[in-house]
Amino acid sequence: METAVQSLVSGVLTGALYAMIGVGLTVVFGVMRIINLAHGEMVMLGMFGAYFGLELLGLDPFVSVVVWAPVMFAAGALIHRLLLRRIIPGGELNTLLYTAGLSLLVANLALFVWTGDYRTINLPYAALPLRPFGIAVPIPLAIAFGIAVLVTGALWLFLGRTDLGRAVRATSQNAEAAVLMGIDVERVATFTFGLGTALAGVAGVLLAPSLYLYPTVGEILVVKCFVIVVLGGLGSVPGAIAGGILLGLVESFGAVYVSMAWKDGIGFLLFLLVLLYRPSGLFGVGKA
Amino acid sequence: MRRALPWLGLGAAAVAVPLVVRNPFFLHLCILVAMWTLLGAAWNVLGGFAGQVSFGHASLFGIGAYVTIMLYLKAGIAPWWGIPVSGAAAAVVSLPIGLLTFRLRGPYFSLSTLAVAELVRLVALNWESVTNGPVGFLITDLPPVRILGRAVNWEAKEPFYLTIAVLAVAGLASTAWLRRSRLGAYLAAIREDEDAAEAVGVDTVRAKVLTLALSAFLAGCGGGFYAFYFRYVDPDAVLAITLSMEMVFIAMVGGLGTVGGPLIGAVFLIAIGETVRARFEVGHLIFYGLFMMLVIRFMPEGIWGRARRLLQRRAAAGAAAPGGLDGAA
Repeated sequence: METAVQSLVSGVLTGALYAMIGVGLTVVFGVMRIINLAHGEMVMLGMFGAYFGLELLGLDPFVSVVVWAPVMFAAGALIHRLLLRRIIPGGELNTLLYTAGLSLLVANLALFVWTGDYRTINLPYAALPLRPFGIAVPIPLAIAFGIAVLVTGALWLFLGRTDLGRAVRATSQNAEAAVLMGIDVERVATFTFGLGTALAGVAGVLLAPSLYLYPTVGEILVVKCFVIVVLGGLGSVPGAIAGGILLGLVESFGAVYVSMAWKDGIGFLLFLLVLLYRPSGLFGVGKA
Repeated sequence: MRRALPWLGLGAAAVAVPLVVRNPFFLHLCILVAMWTLLGAAWNVLGGFAGQVSFGHASLFGIGAYVTIMLYLKAGIAPWWGIPVSGAAAAVVSLPIGLLTFRLRGPYFSLSTLAVAELVRLVALNWESVTNGPVGFLITDLPPVRILGRAVNWEAKEPFYLTIAVLAVAGLASTAWLRRSRLGAYLAAIREDEDAAEAVGVDTVRAKVLTLALSAFLAGCGGGFYAFYFRYVDPDAVLAITLSMEMVFIAMVGGLGTVGGPLIGAVFLIAIGETVRARFEVGHLIFYGLFMMLVIRFMPEGIWGRARRLLQRRAAAGAAAPGGLDGAA
């Protein structure tokens, strides 16, 4: 019983961070129909941002979110403005291949500059896990969970209550109609890409104290990211949140009850099954 | 027969390379170019001709490599017999994969291939009793063989080069055949508009599954050759995502859906790879990524595609001039 509760807790904690990465990918897909294969690399950049913030400036990773969120937003907006915007008219396969190239470029530049060494972030206040009711809760993951919930909640309010947020959702539902309603779809697209990149980057910053850091970590993260958004339905924000938590749970229960080595495999199998039988997502809200 | 002539010529030219290239290192580069041409052609059949972008071709390559090396080490079947068996094995494995994943379209198909490839890699990594897990397999020595009364020297590059050159030319020829065939016409229709293709009665799933099988056969042969030449197979070496990306790079840079593109792409891949690798270990992948982005931005039809268009335009201009089009204009 205690193992089950433990798996549940760690699954939900990791799942919230997965959800955040997934939301970033899914809003970009919704607005631009781009599947960004370089999304995992944006998470990786966030992780290294947190690492160097701590090493060079002594900045606590969780505080450095304030710095990295706008930086990653700007980076994403620039990538869209300068690079992707001209590729998008060429069709979805071109953008898919283009972001694949971008992912290779970024990951291997990072590998070149920072080498393939595994790095860790050790926070003095996080050496021992909290133990409420005998369940181990690692402190960095708990803080990251809290921030992820806050950010996702803020995003939810933003998309639901502000003009810009509504413009994003309108473009996502029907870009042509959005243009007719006077929305500057190009600007919305640039903004959304920045937003998606910022979400990935912040998730990376938050994950950094809990994972090993290495430049090609994005490779595995991006695959997980697809699992998440496909589980929830591509283009759907609530779907991505649910998909993230679901994947977190599947992995943590899989690691305990099946085997550690196969825990990623279970996620991929689930992914294939959902793609085949419910391509619009488990909740039937996505756009297949 | 007339159509086969250029291919026989190309084959003869390819086989004659070792007469000119004596330096083992340069011959090694020729081997790599031929191997990647084969792999690029394999990817291009599916990605270029049928427009189905796969990010998982490393799995077919890897299956081929494992089949050849395991047949040799466990059953004593020589690698050169293992290569075609590898191709057949990859083609057979591709059938259920294709029947499942081709129910998806466009980017969804691409994502599913990524997941399949990761699953295959995890199986190779964790099914230790069969695959030796992360340790993999190593061939220490190849069986002695006599051709025309002379023993083949397995330390030289020539026997390997001849094997892969024949395979690569056959691979390119099979894509040329595919393009002219009925199946090729179906694929073009699917690539341009899948719904329209279905509406005029093309069995799209069947056409795609057959094409994947051909693609898998070529990739599997490439994998078999890899095991034969490098004599070492483990999950990182033959099932990494990077391998799939390199096949994409070759087809993309050379020209999607062209017959000669993979050869050009492979030359570029090896040229960039070797130039950069001499200076730093992983730098070549940076340039692969950069090149892919540049090509898609400025030359989406690839180098071969662009060259062919320029030639055709020149030919058209040359043919038009004496005809007196000027007067009409």
